[in-house]
Amino acid sequence: MLKVKNVTKNYADVQALRGLSLSVAKGSVFGLLGVNGAGKTTLLSILNGLTKIDEGSIEVFGLDIQKDAKEINAISSIIPQHLAFYENLTVVENINFFAKIQKATKESITNAIEINSLQNLLKQKASTLSGGQKRRLNIAIGLLNNPKIIYFDEPTVGVDPKSRNEILDSIASYKKLGITVVYTSHYMNEIERICDEVAIIDKGALVKQERLENLLSNRVSDKVLVETFYTHKLSSLGLTLLDTTTVESSQQELPELLKVLEKNEIFIKQIRYGSSNLEKYFLEVTP
Amino acid sequence: MLWAMIEKEFLLVSRDRHALIALFVMPAVFILVMSVALKEQFNQEAILFHIAVQDSDKSKESAKFIKKLHKSSSFSFDKNADILISIPKEYYNLKHKNQKLDILVKGSIKSDLLEVFKAKLLKEVMDFKLKQMSKEIKKTNFQAAKAMKKMSLEYDKLYKISYEKQKLIPSSTQQSVPSWIVFGMFFVIIPMSTIFINERKQNTLSRVTTMNVSLFKLTLAKIVPYLVINHIQVWIMLGVGVFVVPFFDTPALEITGSFMAIELLSFTLSLSAIGLSVLIAVSATSAEQATTIGGISNILLGAIGGVMVPKFIMPESMQNLANISPMSWGLDGFLDIFMKSGDVSMVAYNSLLLALFGLTALALAMLILKLRINRGL
Repeated sequence: MLKVKNVTKNYADVQALRGLSLSVAKGSVFGLLGVNGAGKTTLLSILNGLTKIDEGSIEVFGLDIQKDAKEINAISSIIPQHLAFYENLTVVENINFFAKIQKATKESITNAIEINSLQNLLKQKASTLSGGQKRRLNIAIGLLNNPKIIYFDEPTVGVDPKSRNEILDSIASYKKLGITVVYTSHYMNEIERICDEVAIIDKGALVKQERLENLLSNRVSDKVLVETFYTHKLSSLGLTLLDTTTVESSQQELPELLKVLEKNEIFIKQIRYGSSNLEKYFLEVTP
Repeated sequence: MLWAMIEKEFLLVSRDRHALIALFVMPAVFILVMSVALKEQFNQEAILFHIAVQDSDKSKESAKFIKKLHKSSSFSFDKNADILISIPKEYYNLKHKNQKLDILVKGSIKSDLLEVFKAKLLKEVMDFKLKQMSKEIKKTNFQAAKAMKKMSLEYDKLYKISYEKQKLIPSSTQQSVPSWIVFGMFFVIIPMSTIFINERKQNTLSRVTTMNVSLFKLTLAKIVPYLVINHIQVWIMLGVGVFVVPFFDTPALEITGSFMAIELLSFTLSLSAIGLSVLIAVSATSAEQATTIGGISNILLGAIGGVMVPKFIMPESMQNLANISPMSWGLDGFLDIFMKSGDVSMVAYNSLLLALFGLTALALAMLILKLRINRGL
């Protein structure tokens, strides 16, 4: 549903995109990976009509980005990395403003509020919200136009683990609604957790695009990844953590690890055997 | 869509306490302070003569005359009077033709002030005598008495004074009210630049541009709220001049000109203030930079344009320089309305200049904004 073909974009002396091509399937959660300066932000700016391409073509749900920019804007939405709403307005005033300029329906306003659990915060001034609540408001605004495709630009930067968990769960729920998600993040475990397919770009060009399970299953190792439900206790046990919820272990050490988790009443979400993690792969392909 | 953006702008301004103070409290305070502080310098009408009256006539008429002097705003009855007026016996008896008022003046009274006093007293005496004569004649000739009653000694009904343009000297209220209206209107730069630059920094502006909001609507949504705010400012400040200033023993603002002229001048002045503000807001990189540049340019335009120092006391070269300031165009327009009963045709030229200035600044601002959007703000 999103087709990027041989796209080139230059800024003065810098070549931000060099013939980038990738495609995103309808209803999928697509991870876009790349180091800083790889071209992710430029691609997102182009996809949102903020920047024009120099060469190549982009189709979004059959619409041409150069000819049908308005139509594409109407069915897509960006959740910017930086909070983009009015701090001096209340939550409901922010939502009403962005809803009105996009002619949002009552149903989509209600959905945006409920999905992001903002019902009890509506009258609160945005500046007084916590970091996680602000992130949720930022996301809610992006859902108001009932988009077919949403671009998330590192939406969990600076967010506490609990709020991050809630945000990732809500993004996973968009898949059930048939919304296509393009997700950029520096947190590989987030990509592993929610994405169906990933593309790694480096220096403005595609390095690899693959379904996540294929990418990881091709790289067998003796490592075991144990993903747990979040609890602050995990970090105090002296284990090898990949992130706040995932423990890395060898197959031989797994029984001992399970005992420790049980003793500390830490519940297991899933165990992945014999697979490598995305971070290691990413570091290998982006020198 | 446009209404939502205008509503948002109003909400943001209404929560910006500093901006509200700069837009409404500052000019109102300036009007009061400057009108009161400068009233002696500007107003000949405000000269108050401290007098005492000795009534040797002790007639009904002399009592009425003293009462009339009491009512006059030019005289104050004082024990330490500078001037003593003595009404001799039989002064109001028409049979005694050569009776005169005796006036004893302190040696410290300047001769030009004495001339003013004589003119003011003459007016009161003549007015009184005329009424008295009318009563006497009424007894014998009713028609003649009726004709006399119609006679008036009110200045503006006796003669018409035309001023040469540069010689126009306003009262302190006439000078202060338009000066600080004009100055206050240009202070829309504070809320406008703060909101605009915050929108840019917090990415709300780029988010809004991804929502199919055109550059024209973006700019229009910035203009309309401040046109309304400026309009409210004008009428509040006029209200201060008309109703509040007199409480401080200072002459009230008299609006003798056309209200349509006020509307036209206010609208174009507002356009020019908004144009300059939008231009500074889109060009600046931070709110601090915008408010500093805006503040300095306002003060400079005000100083050059006759807001801080009235144009009529400037040397000729400075008066010519003043004509480059849009604040001067607005101020001159208001002075024409207040002092020369100005109508729309009288302020049309100044309004045209203001509108052209505002529209040029807005066009330039839109161009810069377009470039910024193309470069990702």
